[in-house]
Amino acid sequence: MLKAEKKMGLIFFPAYDWAISPNHPEREERLLYTQDQVLEEGVLDIEGIREYRTRPATVEDIRRVHFCVPDEPSVTTESHMISAGGCIVAADAVMKKEVDCSFALVRPPGHHATRIVHGNRGFCNVNIEAVMIEYIRDTYGVRKVAVVDTDCHHGDGTQDVYWHDPDTLFISLHQDGRTLYPGTGFPNEVGGPNALGATMNIPLPPHTGEKGILYVLENLIMPALERFQPELIINSAGQDNHYLDPITNMNFSAQGYARLSKILNPDIAVLEGGYSIESALPYVNLGIILAMAGMDTTHVKEPRYDEQYRPQEDRISSYIERLVEELGPYFFEGKWGGPTYEIGSVATKSRVIHYDTDMISDNQTEHVRVCGDCGGCWKIHSSSTRGRRVLVVHIPRNACPECVKKGMDWFDREEPEDYDHVFLQDRTNRQYLVK
Amino acid sequence: MILGLDVGGTHTDTALVSPGGVARVVKTPTGSDLLETLTEALTRALETIPLVKLERMVFSTTLATNAVVQDRLDPVGMMVMAGPGIDPELYSVGPCYRTIPGVVDHRGKEVVPPDRRAVEGIREEMGWLGLDKVGVVGKFSVRHPGHEMSVRTWIKDHFSHVALGHRISGGLNFPRRIHTTYLNAALNDIHVEFVQSLQATLDRLGLDAPSYLLKPEGGTILMDRSFDQPAHTAQSGPAASVIGAIALHCTPQTSLVLDIGGTTTDMAVIMNSAPLLNPTGVRIGPYKTSIRSLYTCSIGVGGDSEVRIDKQGNLRVGPNRQGPPAAMGGSVPTPTDALVFLGKLKAGRASRACDAIEKLAQKIEKRPEETAERILEEAARVIAEGASQFIQEINSQPVYTIYELIEDRKVEPERVVLIGGPALCLAPYVQEALGLPAAVPKHYKAANAIGAACARVTTEINLHADTEMGKAVIPEEEFETSIGRDFTIENARAMAGERLKERALRQGANPEELQVTVCDEQVFGMVRDFQRVGTNIRLRAQITPGLTRKWMHELCEI
Repeated sequence: MLKAEKKMGLIFFPAYDWAISPNHPEREERLLYTQDQVLEEGVLDIEGIREYRTRPATVEDIRRVHFCVPDEPSVTTESHMISAGGCIVAADAVMKKEVDCSFALVRPPGHHATRIVHGNRGFCNVNIEAVMIEYIRDTYGVRKVAVVDTDCHHGDGTQDVYWHDPDTLFISLHQDGRTLYPGTGFPNEVGGPNALGATMNIPLPPHTGEKGILYVLENLIMPALERFQPELIINSAGQDNHYLDPITNMNFSAQGYARLSKILNPDIAVLEGGYSIESALPYVNLGIILAMAGMDTTHVKEPRYDEQYRPQEDRISSYIERLVEELGPYFFEGKWGGPTYEIGSVATKSRVIHYDTDMISDNQTEHVRVCGDCGGCWKIHSSSTRGRRVLVVHIPRNACPECVKKGMDWFDREEPEDYDHVFLQDRTNRQYLVK
Repeated sequence: MILGLDVGGTHTDTALVSPGGVARVVKTPTGSDLLETLTEALTRALETIPLVKLERMVFSTTLATNAVVQDRLDPVGMMVMAGPGIDPELYSVGPCYRTIPGVVDHRGKEVVPPDRRAVEGIREEMGWLGLDKVGVVGKFSVRHPGHEMSVRTWIKDHFSHVALGHRISGGLNFPRRIHTTYLNAALNDIHVEFVQSLQATLDRLGLDAPSYLLKPEGGTILMDRSFDQPAHTAQSGPAASVIGAIALHCTPQTSLVLDIGGTTTDMAVIMNSAPLLNPTGVRIGPYKTSIRSLYTCSIGVGGDSEVRIDKQGNLRVGPNRQGPPAAMGGSVPTPTDALVFLGKLKAGRASRACDAIEKLAQKIEKRPEETAERILEEAARVIAEGASQFIQEINSQPVYTIYELIEDRKVEPERVVLIGGPALCLAPYVQEALGLPAAVPKHYKAANAIGAACARVTTEINLHADTEMGKAVIPEEEFETSIGRDFTIENARAMAGERLKERALRQGANPEELQVTVCDEQVFGMVRDFQRVGTNIRLRAQITPGLTRKWMHELCEI
């Protein structure tokens, strides 16, 4: 009987009774063929691979990350809670050392969900990785975490959640935002004033292939991880860089994903997007599972890979080599420039967040206390086209006394009459208040 | 009158069961020759009974299991069609295991047709090696049996037996399909020979009732219909006991069944008068198969388990067994000795049991009576701990829909049924340790043979329909038909029900017990490019294991 080199936990929750709408890419059928392939390959009989039953996340789990407007039940469904819960089960398995690594093959995905949730964005409501990471931090006392988002779409939700957090290195590799939803994820997005350089965006040209993605991984992402020295590496394992994906334009493959997983060697992988449900996902997922378990992946290919796959064009290879040459010093030597901030001052930024699925626009103005001692407290005024006006205040984990005081002050001073709700997410004292 | 017979490691139990109740149970020693053992057991069971009219006979034998464990398998060549995925060479089995071109994907679409020239080449190679039997297995062959069937057509004249993967189980699991197909082919001769000899013996004894073999899921199959699936009659022992427990405790309550033996205690669960089945398949020797079986778990505590004092000075029972109990001439104290000491059981020489217990008592500086009680409490504690882990394992099986997760149906036993030799004496201790009411049927020592007698014919089929491809397949029946775009789950249920009944009747089912249960069904709309293009239906239907005659529900002894 086969034996895995590394013990691995598998959380499989295909949500066979949930869809955004009947013909939507995020529908019941999405993981059906993946499950068929995994079962037929006898993966669950491999010694060392263990399947876990998922469970729903709790409202408390969600409140470590999000401000749900007006409340959690209004903007989440059971499926979101279970998908996030699946990630938490994956985390527990690793943190309790029952397994060496784990893969949460769950849906719906989460990496477009931002801090303030008014509805569904890019098929996501709840940021399942962030909910898991904050659960890990509170339960197991982990500080430094790296998230490597290999979905084809920029992980703008995760970037938003960790924009001000110097303890979370967020790296996103994606199809260039000028050519694909959500249209963000440029190299100059490097994090807030207290966390400069803890966000890394690597936009890749359409048609980037196995060679290009692995080149970026080995020459940019792995060195970044080496510098950051995270306690945990999380992979937001979107599978829509695949050459057969119907809603993107990349040229990656099951072999590529298997190599990527082997090199990146994440502690926990979480499924994100990927909509070539029949021709790509079964093989990509099998490749990721076997690679994470330290097993041979030589034969994990799309059935017609040898005749279908076109290696990356030379012009793309040279573009990517140049990109890596420029981005290396940019990230690693902090050459991003921009304004300098005075410690103790408050930096302000305004922006509009668009919710494609639910057709909502959210006007946000954000204030963050520039701090030399912690992640800094921040507040956001948010008013959505649904007519809701809220103020949210965040005090980070291990906040300095100044930031705790400032955050509490913001929360206490605001009169609820000016807003529909005022929220406080106090991660230092682990409280969540609404007025 | 129905005869049930269960061959165990040391004893063979035979029971005669009639509407009036359990008419007779007989225990005979199990010898080295299976046929002689059966003859002896049958003769003893039927002697001095005026010629009864037997309605049917059911045998639960160790033939297949022993042949596997003792490596008495016939050489079988294997032809495997894999395609992308895990390297099929890793599942190599038998003296000549060859992969051939031919690929089917998860939907049952042909990607690469099988290569006749390659097949012929391997067939020749197998001919040189003198291989007479062959197994042909394809990945996803249950979705598209055509490839295996083509290969069979090309080679069947050159082999005495060709076993095909898709006929064995409609479930998905390629490695298990390979190994189960291999076992069925490798056990074919030995099984056929056994059935023929047993038939001759039965003829000689004047026993002409239909004969059945018990399967590990607790169902039966007509003996002369079992030739293609000999491996499906392995490991039937635990099933015999559990069906016996169903017959003898007769309530729809969820019950935990504990079959306490000499070395181990086997656990199973009964819900709604049916045993809980294992979601994957039974393991036979080193082979993981796709053969359905009970959900069982074995813990290393029985009447003959070794009692010892560990380094911390705690009294421990099991998991080792060091020969027979002290009362029977063994060297170490056992729970059986504790029972003998306390006067709860008569076995062997009481003085030896007393010596062993007293010696142990001195070591832990307790009175011998207290020591004997502690042994039994400890044995019960270990059993209870194993039982709660077992239930927890059952309840942590993954589910794949929101409905099931929210519903969160849990197995929660309401009582425990104890069978096997030490059952009666240990019942109070187990009841205490588990915190569940314990019941011990009158024939607790022969529940296995009674179970064999009472088991009904069971069978299972899987249906996979894909309206975009316009076909429905029932691999076990080698049935494939074209379907229209309007084919629905109702059509699928009707089609599966009809085929299942035919199959069950062929395997010897009583026409009155053809209750079809659809145990799983899934329906998916298939969408490509934002358009609905078809429906994908998966359905599994079975005749559930249980009691074969209505009157058996009156056998209750509790």
